[in-house]
Amino acid sequence: MELTRRDLLKGAAAATAGAATFRAPSIFVRRLTQTSAQDNTIKVGILHSLSGTIAIIERSLHNAELLAIEEINAKGGVLGKKIEAIVEDPKSEVRFFKEKAEKLILRDKVVAVLGCYTSASRQSVLPVFEKTNSVLLYPTLYEAQECSYNCFYTGAVPNQQLTDFVPWLIKNVGPKFYLIGSNYIYPKETNREVKALLAKHGGQTVAEEYAPLGSTEFSTTINKIRAAKPNVVFSDLVGDSIVAFYKQYKQFGITAKDIPIATPITTEEEIRAMGPENAIGHFTSFNYFQSVKTPQNDRFVKAYKAKYGEDRVTNAVMEAAYFQTYFLAQAIEKLKGNTDPDALIQEGLPGQEFQAPQGKVKIDEKNHHTWLWARIGRANADGQFDILVTSNTWIRPQPWTKVLYPDKDCDFTKVPKGSKSGTITTKT
Amino acid sequence: MAEAVFAQFLTGFSIVAILLIISLGLAIIFGVMRVINMAHGDFIMIGAYVAYVLQYYLHLNLFWAVPAAFVVLGLLGVVVEWGLIRQLYGRPLETLLATWGVSIILQAGIRLTFGPELRYVKAPDALSGEFPVPGSNLPFPYFRLFIIVLALVLLLMTYWLLYRTDLGMHVRAVNQNRAMAAVLGIDTRRIDSAVFAFGSGLAGIAGVVVAPIKTVSPIMGFKYAVDSYMVIVLGGVGRLAGTLAGATVIGEGETVLAFLFNNVIGELLVFTMIVLVIRVFPQGLFTIQHRRTENL
Repeated sequence: MELTRRDLLKGAAAATAGAATFRAPSIFVRRLTQTSAQDNTIKVGILHSLSGTIAIIERSLHNAELLAIEEINAKGGVLGKKIEAIVEDPKSEVRFFKEKAEKLILRDKVVAVLGCYTSASRQSVLPVFEKTNSVLLYPTLYEAQECSYNCFYTGAVPNQQLTDFVPWLIKNVGPKFYLIGSNYIYPKETNREVKALLAKHGGQTVAEEYAPLGSTEFSTTINKIRAAKPNVVFSDLVGDSIVAFYKQYKQFGITAKDIPIATPITTEEEIRAMGPENAIGHFTSFNYFQSVKTPQNDRFVKAYKAKYGEDRVTNAVMEAAYFQTYFLAQAIEKLKGNTDPDALIQEGLPGQEFQAPQGKVKIDEKNHHTWLWARIGRANADGQFDILVTSNTWIRPQPWTKVLYPDKDCDFTKVPKGSKSGTITTKT
Repeated sequence: MAEAVFAQFLTGFSIVAILLIISLGLAIIFGVMRVINMAHGDFIMIGAYVAYVLQYYLHLNLFWAVPAAFVVLGLLGVVVEWGLIRQLYGRPLETLLATWGVSIILQAGIRLTFGPELRYVKAPDALSGEFPVPGSNLPFPYFRLFIIVLALVLLLMTYWLLYRTDLGMHVRAVNQNRAMAAVLGIDTRRIDSAVFAFGSGLAGIAGVVVAPIKTVSPIMGFKYAVDSYMVIVLGGVGRLAGTLAGATVIGEGETVLAFLFNNVIGELLVFTMIVLVIRVFPQGLFTIQHRRTENL
């Protein structure tokens, strides 16, 4: 037998590898077993704050994603493989989001990450996803004007919440709007669109006002609202401010019959925190409400309450977190188990449809955002919404809303293969 | 317009009252013991959770929560003073860190017990409506009136305790000259304990009254802590009038400016003003001018 140089090298490599396995400290051994387990599971990262300021809402997204994974696994997983959730807690701090995203991608080698809630956290992790060419699914409604090759946006963008809502309010409540929001990008961008829609449909902006983020004292604002006598108060306050504002609004004696509050952001969760009597009669525009009547929603609400407690409520962001988990599972199934990020981004996820609790939803083939339903709800005495209007059809997402940016769009099918940037096409 | 200005003025009073209630406890503790209680905001938070527990689990009216929170937080104050602050007396930096630790423990404890969600506390039915302000048809919430009255009651009660009782005389003696007071037979440790307990109890009451108009969550305390530090820094320590002045300037200032401009500018101008005032009067607007034999 002739020993070639190649054989020798192979033997040496095997010996070294073997020795490494035996001599290595326990931490390496554990990692080796982890890698072998990887063959039977599909690893998915879950990146939502479980502590800190934003945990109030992000924990519910985390819960919804785990529920979806549990359901998928109970039905036999994806192509016979179970989904393994790797959970990280970024503690409501932007820098931890970045660190934990890197950890999930580089160390755990997850197929994709479901995560983030605020725009700040999304923008801090996006460079990581772009650099490592990984996939992020982001469930929050947000101010849009963004299109990342590596991100899929499953929450609503302003055109899906406002296009029907503002004209409906003008027609059914009145034309004079008082805009109030928290002082950061989402409310400002939303209000820009509201103002454009008001101008287009014959409405009128009486005043536009912003409160410091986290502010809980609104008596002055309420006095100003009373003096300005608008027909509608359009609020994009967020977080704690929502609860304080609705409570004080009622305490100062303004009811929904006098001047209703209309908002694209107040969910069942905030109503639970403020007490239903403070929200009664006010309007919210969303894709999903807990009170949506579909068999899928009945099952979703029942399963969520069974897993997390009878007094829990579901909300629109959670619902997106829930169905985006299914989007990912279906995309991997479609690719026959191929989890290559480019395959997922170009073939797996675009065009993916799912019968979600809100109705059938779809990831747009071109712009990575999601086709959703539009609904207008009025808060009732049980802390739920009576749904007054449901759109006739699902609504196409416009990352650059047509009212403000008629010439701007985002289309990944027109971008040459391999290019990760320059995704915004300006029609000429 | 005149009506709106009047309404604004009244509203301002209610904000002053809230500031007064949340900073009274801190002012007393800082004034007498020279201890900066970093957990003050979290004591307020615990007070709010006392209200939540009484209402949600025992179905008791919010009025009951006022004495209950005073007692619960008073006891907590005794424990913290005895276990921590007494051990660190005369070491302000360590006290600062230790009470900050207490703050973290309290937040984490509440989060573990009740979860991170916002909690709902209802105003008592008797106070849930609003009444027309005499001479106009502007509605004003009963609950805000209750807060204004309560702030006055607490202020008068504290004044009475400090200036009309033997205990108060001892407290003031300790405040002015600890060593001399001790020589004259005053048990300064007992005074410290009583002061800390009383201040903590006031924080508990503050938590109860802000619960129905603001939000209740494990992290709610921070905002109140900042506000109360501002009041004390502006007003100066060692005098109730200082706390009242600080609360009035900040409360009415913010309200008026927010009305004239907007909330963001209001906040900005008030903070700027505080910085300027401190630059000119480092001791705050009101401070007792007396000889100090101690190097504090």
